[in-house]
Amino acid sequence: MADAPVQPQRSLSRRGLERLDLLLLSAEALDLNGGEAMVWLSEEMGLTDLFPNRVELWKRRCSNPLRRTTRRDRITEAEADGLIRILNALADRLYPMLRSLLSSAEPPQLSEQRWALFRGRLQELLKERFNPRRGGVQRLLDPQEGPQLCRELIQTMALSAGSGGFTRLKASLMDAAA
Amino acid sequence: MKLTSRYEQTSCRLVLEGLPDLSAGQSSQTIGILTGFSLALAGKTELEGQRDHLQALLNVVLPYARGLISGVARPQGAEDVPVAIRPVDGQHELELRSSQPNTPPLRLPLDDAELSDLVRCLDRLQLDPQVAVPLQWPAPQPLRRSELRHRLPLARRVAAPLTGIAALLVAGVLASLLPTPKPPASAPAAVSTPARGG
Repeated sequence: MADAPVQPQRSLSRRGLERLDLLLLSAEALDLNGGEAMVWLSEEMGLTDLFPNRVELWKRRCSNPLRRTTRRDRITEAEADGLIRILNALADRLYPMLRSLLSSAEPPQLSEQRWALFRGRLQELLKERFNPRRGGVQRLLDPQEGPQLCRELIQTMALSAGSGGFTRLKASLMDAAA
Repeated sequence: MKLTSRYEQTSCRLVLEGLPDLSAGQSSQTIGILTGFSLALAGKTELEGQRDHLQALLNVVLPYARGLISGVARPQGAEDVPVAIRPVDGQHELELRSSQPNTPPLRLPLDDAELSDLVRCLDRLQLDPQVAVPLQWPAPQPLRRSELRHRLPLARRVAAPLTGIAALLVAGVLASLLPTPKPPASAPAAVSTPARGG
């Protein structure tokens, strides 16, 4: 385990914010009602002080520099925690789907169809909302590199689900810049 | 009175058995003393062990999952501990070493789904208020730059310094090809000695 000290007051880095928004986008790609589910879960978890309505929630996600229309204001630690909690709850709801994508026991043909469906939806959302000139977006859209990156997103979501997922994902989003 | 606590997730079932530690002021429904645990992973042998084995299991599995969530699959578990985990061919291999001499270790391959099932069971155990067994839970920490370094392919990591060195060499060669400025052709004018003042 890393012995780097935890800095609880530190907000997310640019890279952490990019990953968090990409993971939320992946949840939308897996669930057609993902956007609505985020708003509903936010209310359910009592995060209305942080995100009073869907526009505020959307604005916080738009702090991601990879977006087409990006906002310059930095997201606070409480807002980042709120978004991580929403992702944690979404991943928990979607866990059976995440699991079936990751499982090697599924019939290969069925598994490939599911992956193709997920990648297709994610690419549509990326083209619609993200800046295609950014290297990070191009790598996700790349037919060679994209599938592996998509798998990493799904694996991250699976390990972020459930009770211990919040602290694990938060620590990961606060990694040093590679 | 023996108590049991079960955690199930698709391919994984973790069952703890123990007794309440009434001397520590715990309720009679809380497991305070672990008498044993069993772990069943889909299609593999059911494992049984004591508190030390459970501690060794979570000491390696949780840090491994922590690395994996950042895209870094680092082997966990030194030679002298009962459990180790490492990445093997895009999957994960859980190795259980017996304390009996001359007993080969048991190696269990886990795919990504089975590993996350196991992690979820351990997470649930950690936050279960009905279990107060003294266990050390490794806290997830951000990874340092050096720990993330090998995530980038070598070619991409060395591309920038190599381009810099190449650019410097090219500039050096080009600069050496430039003609050096020649000294002026005319001889320097004779300098007259200043007349001494009387």
